Amino acid sequence: MTEEQNVLLKVENLKKHFPVKGGIFGNKTLQHVKAVDGVSFEVMEGETFGIVGESGCGKSTTGRTILRLLEPTEGNIYFQGRNLAELNNSEMRTLRKDIQIVFQDPFASLNPRMRVRDIIEEPLINFGVADRKERERRLLEVADQVGLTPAQLTRFPHEFSGGQRQRIGIARALISKPKLIIADEPVSALDVSIQSQVLNLMRDLQKELGLTYIFISHDLSVVKHFCDRIGVMYLGKMVEIAEKNRLYDKPMHPYAEALLSALPSPHPLKKKKRIILKGDVPSPSNPPSGCTFHPRCASCMDVCTTDQPTLQAVEDQHAVSCHLYTEAGKKSVAAGEPV
Amino acid sequence: MVQRVLEVDKLKVGIKDDGEKIAIVNGISFYLHKGETLGIVGESGCGKSMTSLSLMGLLPPGVERHDGDVRLGDLHFKDFSKKDWRKIRGKKISMIFQEPMSSLNPVYTIGEQIMEMVLSHEKVSKKAARARALEMLKLVGIPRPEHVLDEYPYQLSGGMRQRVMIAIALSCNPEVLIADEPTTALDVTIQAQILELMKDIQNQLDMSIVLITHDLGVVAEMCDRVIVMYAGEIVEESLVVELFDNPKHPYTRGLIASLPDVDEQKEYLSSIPGVVPAPGNMPAGCRFAPRCTLAHERCNETPPLFETESGSQVKCWLFEEKKSEVVAT
Repeated sequence: MTEEQNVLLKVENLKKHFPVKGGIFGNKTLQHVKAVDGVSFEVMEGETFGIVGESGCGKSTTGRTILRLLEPTEGNIYFQGRNLAELNNSEMRTLRKDIQIVFQDPFASLNPRMRVRDIIEEPLINFGVADRKERERRLLEVADQVGLTPAQLTRFPHEFSGGQRQRIGIARALISKPKLIIADEPVSALDVSIQSQVLNLMRDLQKELGLTYIFISHDLSVVKHFCDRIGVMYLGKMVEIAEKNRLYDKPMHPYAEALLSALPSPHPLKKKKRIILKGDVPSPSNPPSGCTFHPRCASCMDVCTTDQPTLQAVEDQHAVSCHLYTEAGKKSVAAGEPV
Repeated sequence: MVQRVLEVDKLKVGIKDDGEKIAIVNGISFYLHKGETLGIVGESGCGKSMTSLSLMGLLPPGVERHDGDVRLGDLHFKDFSKKDWRKIRGKKISMIFQEPMSSLNPVYTIGEQIMEMVLSHEKVSKKAARARALEMLKLVGIPRPEHVLDEYPYQLSGGMRQRVMIAIALSCNPEVLIADEPTTALDVTIQAQILELMKDIQNQLDMSIVLITHDLGVVAEMCDRVIVMYAGEIVEESLVVELFDNPKHPYTRGLIASLPDVDEQKEYLSSIPGVVPAPGNMPAGCRFAPRCTLAHERCNETPPLFETESGSQVKCWLFEEKKSEVVAT
């Protein structure tokens, strides 16, 4: 059980349902959008855990719910043994020193009326570091770590390019010396040449400071490059979690397989066989019965329409939520049901 | 020789600041063969979208064509009045945009929006236009087309909306289709569907496509020939396989090297230092020189496009000698 000791974050059956209001006065709850619907995973200390999925699959909501920027509907979040879901607001606030977030849009996530130094320093003030000299020292330290010069600190966000702004966002996250950083699409808004600068910076910081990342992204090649283990989400559920090379070499869940095959090949002559999924992602307010992927799945069996599969370890470091790998599913294959 | 359907000649597009002309697109020339897909790649601010908008006569207020010409068959765009543009747009040359959410009119049905295009270009009855609209929806693979005809854009998903945009763009059978980041706003599985659809339709209709994108993966997938733009200029033009196998311009090399490769594991990605210069504040000489690791004295002068042995063109002094060797032999 040596692995257990290294678990930094453990998420158990996390759910976030948003009510859809309706009625004449808008006070009746008509239904719930199940943005995150029973997600469980573990993040080891020092690793980068990637969450991939298409828009609306609940990956960003998962990230925000862990930080309790959104209140979880159900489930437990253990961070270093403490259940974050049970903390009150002020306890949670102090704990956010250890868990920080970097947002996608470096244009919208920085206050345009604050100077860069004030933006980066603000978390320290919030966390009660009263000593001005100490704050100044930390400010210059993180600025140096992310590659901002002291002269740049007196400027305003609009004076910076996208890549530079993302550095500011990272500096702000780093200043409270967090253990875990949730990076929600940190490079999606950036051009490729800048994207690689930011990814390299994040990797350097991880080595230097021993950070743990949860890296949320829709870009499969970036995730493969940057993460150690990857979870694939579909419609609010984790459908597959695996070490990255296992996942990319041998995806087990039919959705993961289709998703990976849809990635444009990096060379015009290396064309690969595509699995083109039919149809669109169903609405999370009214997900299909059984396995939520079954209406689009090429290997759908009878059992898939009725029974919901659960995420279970199939091989070492490889868990999948699909009836192709469950007892019920194997029985139905053996019974000669159409696949 | 293959027919050139579209020719762009020393096109300059820019803004006026205190009477001073600032170029966003700085004198670019290229052509498009019939039935081919030409990719224009570059990062934000390289002028690729302004190029495409000027091909459609849709430059935003304040931005204008300073110089140069675009020829479509025997038509010269530079002499065009607003009225001429209306006749051409949609009929001869059509465009699909990045945001299928915001480029459809939310208060008209899908059918009405396709019919609008047909009715404004062809003398047909409303009934015939509706029949054409239905046919187009079938062509782009929309399920239950009869119903979708009477639905509004909000009832469709992003991928379906982009299919509708394609249906509108192709409803009058244009010779050239300009696709400006057609799949950037879409998820990868939907992107794969749309790219597949565009290839299919291109084969069916023998259409020529200008595909503008920042995504080299999409270029590898779709294009026959590629133009790489940097800071308003073309820095490299080559066949797609050649571009990936043997990129020449230091910028193109840097761009390809900074892409994470799914099949290969590297700890660090290579990156291009610095940022793209702003229009109006361009470095003299080669515009990439300040970020280029191979820059030398010669780069203070603007290099012309050199032709290389493989037939590709490169705007870089490093390829000057190679050209003279070719001429000598």
